[in-house]
Amino acid sequence: MPATQEISETLIRENISRAVGDVFKTMLGRPADLCVLAQAAQSHWTAVPAEGENVVSQVIGTVGFLGDVNGLIYFYLDLPFAREVTCHMLGMTDAELEEAGEEVINDAIGELTNMTVGSFKNGISDAGFPCKLTIPTILRGSNFSIEPIADVQRYFYKFQSGGSNIITDIMLKIGD
Amino acid sequence: MRNKILTVDDSKTVRIIVRKAFKSYDCEILEAANGVEGLAVASKDMPDLILLDVTMPVMDGVEMLTKLKSDPQLKGIPVMMLTAEGGKDHVLKIAKIGVRDYIVKPFKEELLIEKAGRIIELKPLSDTPTKARSIFDPATLLVVEDKPAIIQQIQEGLKHTPWKIHGVSTQGEAIDFCTKTPPDLIIMSLSLPEDAAFTLFRLVRTNTKTKYTPVFGLVVKTESLAQQQAQTVGFTTVVTKPIDVSELEAKIAKAMNLDTSQRYFTVEGDGLIMRVPENCSPAVLAEISTYLKPKLAEAVDAGHNKSVIDVHQLRSLHMGVIKLLMQAMQTCRELGVQFAMVGNAQIISECKGFEDTRTWVFHDTLEDAKASMVKTPATALASA
Repeated sequence: MPATQEISETLIRENISRAVGDVFKTMLGRPADLCVLAQAAQSHWTAVPAEGENVVSQVIGTVGFLGDVNGLIYFYLDLPFAREVTCHMLGMTDAELEEAGEEVINDAIGELTNMTVGSFKNGISDAGFPCKLTIPTILRGSNFSIEPIADVQRYFYKFQSGGSNIITDIMLKIGD
Repeated sequence: MRNKILTVDDSKTVRIIVRKAFKSYDCEILEAANGVEGLAVASKDMPDLILLDVTMPVMDGVEMLTKLKSDPQLKGIPVMMLTAEGGKDHVLKIAKIGVRDYIVKPFKEELLIEKAGRIIELKPLSDTPTKARSIFDPATLLVVEDKPAIIQQIQEGLKHTPWKIHGVSTQGEAIDFCTKTPPDLIIMSLSLPEDAAFTLFRLVRTNTKTKYTPVFGLVVKTESLAQQQAQTVGFTTVVTKPIDVSELEAKIAKAMNLDTSQRYFTVEGDGLIMRVPENCSPAVLAEISTYLKPKLAEAVDAGHNKSVIDVHQLRSLHMGVIKLLMQAMQTCRELGVQFAMVGNAQIISECKGFEDTRTWVFHDTLEDAKASMVKTPATALASA
């Protein structure tokens, strides 16, 4: 079984870029382009706002994958963007979304995450690291951080789509 | 009847996207959130196509697919998997169990329509609603078969219908016929020499007059390769020899979207009569169930507030029939319609054996049932 150390950052970056780009283009009809994060942020980005920054509610989808590679991907969108994405995917107006309730946003972002991580997983599986997906879950909040307990390889990538940001937080378990 | 498409996915988002994708087509979308619900809906409604997600709680797509394929009543329903897992091994695994096609998420709605359109006929919704043709309306059927005995068998078996069955033996004759008189449905033998059936199918589909004409493939039961090829290419359905003519008749009625409600529902005097036939397959039960509320509502709209549920032709009771009867009684109550039931000794005896049905009251004749409602105008006579 290949160890997680054998998976290069290049493979991870290429597959997550392709996955996010494909999902946004197919489901939302818009591109999502990889941005260059500042070096410090590449290994430690946080949703906790810096002093003076506005607090923005986040909607975070997460899906795990298990197999030759074990890990989790967190998919961050801020709430206004999450609402916009939900309306587009479901063909709803803002008013209709308001009436339908927050559960609809959770479900839409959960599915978006599922598709993105699925596409990512298919790519790394084809590259020799077969694995399966777990069921997606949703986190919501505005001032929190996610810290793994065990040693992990961690990669943050930022994407931009029509002026809005998407952050992917990829954690891979090192060793068996 | 319209095509029914069942979408089984734990994500409400995906179910909404599927519903949105098919909104321009004349079909009914059914939903289920997991494999258990999916099996229940499939058993009750007999959809024409199932769109099935893989990863779901309670019962996943692979398990549901396995159970579908092991159920004799459900195994013929085509299944298309919608999955985020596109790996080669995974696809091979589900292909072995038997799916007609698969789509890897994310997917464009156009791709979903294209793939579904290869499995079932998708008719665009017309702007002006047209009255559905009934089973009593004439239709022209073309049978392309080089064995005269088969043509004769079909003509003989369907002679009680108002359909005109024309038989031809070659591809050339079939093309000539379609040019002069575009048929309402075509049945073609898949064993015509030199793959003529598949060539003819392509020609039929490229002709604007027959682009949407239902096309059935006819083949010996054991020729699974030919059946698979026909399904892949886009034949409406495959009928196997030896031909079960009553099954063929049902498939023809469904493919031509005929209103078959008059088989089961008639207005007589001041009430609606619902007759459950002796042959009560799941397909027949699903058909009656689909028409139940619209026909009762139509009767109420026309001023009729009584209904007789006639099951005297049934030889025995089973769960599907019990569910249908409960649905009928419930619908009558909701619409404020008085109802009474007609049965036979066997049905009455079997009803006594079930907790839910032992208090049901049956009359011996239609006249008795109608008379009972005149006597007690305000109350329902059978309880459940």
